[in-house]
Amino acid sequence: MSEPPKERVKYIDTNLNLPYHYYAGDYKALYLRALKDKKILGSRCSKSGKVFVPPVIASPETLAPCDELVELPHRGIVTTFCVVNVPVYGREIEIPYVVASVALDGADVSLYSLIQECAAADVHMGIRVEAVWKPDGERQGDHTDIRYFRPTGEPDAPFESFIHRL
Amino acid sequence: MTKLRNVAVVGFAQAPIVAADEHHTGPEMLYPVVQAALESAGLERSDVDYQCAGSSDYVDGRAFSFSQVLEVMGAWPPVQDSHVEMDAIWAAHLVWVKMQAGESEVAIVCGFGKTSEGSPSHVLNLQLEPFYAAAIGLDPTSTAALQASAYMARSGADDRALAEIASKNRAAGAKNPDGQLREAATPEELMATPWAVKPLREGYLAPIGETATCMVLAVEGRAEKICDRPAWIHGVDHRIELQALGSRDLSRSESTTLAARNAFEMAGLASASAADVVELGSTNPAEELILRDALGLPASARAQGGPAINPSGSAQCANPLMNTGLLRLAEGFRQLSGRAGERGVPGAKRAVVHASAGHGLQQNIVWVLGTERRWS
Repeated sequence: MSEPPKERVKYIDTNLNLPYHYYAGDYKALYLRALKDKKILGSRCSKSGKVFVPPVIASPETLAPCDELVELPHRGIVTTFCVVNVPVYGREIEIPYVVASVALDGADVSLYSLIQECAAADVHMGIRVEAVWKPDGERQGDHTDIRYFRPTGEPDAPFESFIHRL
Repeated sequence: MTKLRNVAVVGFAQAPIVAADEHHTGPEMLYPVVQAALESAGLERSDVDYQCAGSSDYVDGRAFSFSQVLEVMGAWPPVQDSHVEMDAIWAAHLVWVKMQAGESEVAIVCGFGKTSEGSPSHVLNLQLEPFYAAAIGLDPTSTAALQASAYMARSGADDRALAEIASKNRAAGAKNPDGQLREAATPEELMATPWAVKPLREGYLAPIGETATCMVLAVEGRAEKICDRPAWIHGVDHRIELQALGSRDLSRSESTTLAARNAFEMAGLASASAADVVELGSTNPAEELILRDALGLPASARAQGGPAINPSGSAQCANPLMNTGLLRLAEGFRQLSGRAGERGVPGAKRAVVHASAGHGLQQNIVWVLGTERRWS
């Protein structure tokens, strides 16, 4: 604690210190490892054929195994987004900024990412975006390896093409 | 006694109990278990109308931890789901209540807890009152030792009495393929192990492990079709005592006695001694002796006759937090349904199952299971 309590008897300080180390699990570890190699992996449902990213071992929809890993392109569509105007704990980034749900081409669920290299006002549903990676040698195998997505300048995707991937 | 709805345990599956599964996340550990439990019951996920999990955010190190396993329990289309921040045996109780209320016919209960990802002794310290008890660093081993000491002073039980109980459980645990600690040990060997917290020796303590569990419960009319030998719930009750260790008699378990009395009355069971199998959620031999005392069972590991006590080796041979209690109920099911393999008690018709939560047996649940329907 940085400052001692002024009226000690009214409360006590409890310095909770609970260490955790989360196992990624072998499956998600493959995904994280692939990020380091500048690849995005998803997994395909053995029943419905839907592709989940990050990969899951089973489809939450069908509960069937998703045991086929697929490599996904680094491009996709902004399906929904928001413009953040308040500082967020743990994130040093200039406001306003855009957080978007990005449906990669060939994926049936979206990833969350920042959208940069454009004005917040220019981001809209259906805008095509591509991943901007950390340079070689700096990628650690975690989600920050994709720094953000940026608009590609391609024509917008029609709403019908991503309505089921919001 | 009021006539209640007949509800039975009709299926169960578990992951191996290990110190650490470094290859799977909690949901990944649970996924094959849910699939196996459903398959053993010949059910599709769509046959299940209610689900309830038991887990702990502090064990898993994340808020609303239960929501992460919905993806493997089933959540699409949106389902009727509940959760208890307790051992999953209390989730089974909630399912039983839900079935009594007529709101469910076939349900699954899941337990999970990645104990290896955090520090259980730190987590369980926080279960204590924060100003006095938690602040001095009590952990479950030290509170269990306080309790053991109180019991030994009252009863006259000595170190050997504890060692004999522990040895008996270790011998049983060695025969349980689903256990974690599977090495038999003589009382002498256990008495030669160092003190963990005196009067409890290292050889008397349960290893904390991790697993994932899934139980299927069903009401009369469905249960018989799902399972060849359902284990019918004849009675159940649970009671809780004060949190403060100093405000209750640690040498006894009043809440077990009361819960048992109510469960036995519901079941029409004269006493625990009248059952064929008794499975206790004790994680050390002193707890077992206190529970035996509370249930009117013999205080000695060498007593002849009466029910088989802890044929699984009890929680002393495996304590995967959040699953430990449900595994006791599973043992009752396995014993009565001919699924206990080599450790099966021949001809077992009624089982008493106990599980505990909190420090020093703070909260206790007692079930009576039978091979026949209780109410016609």
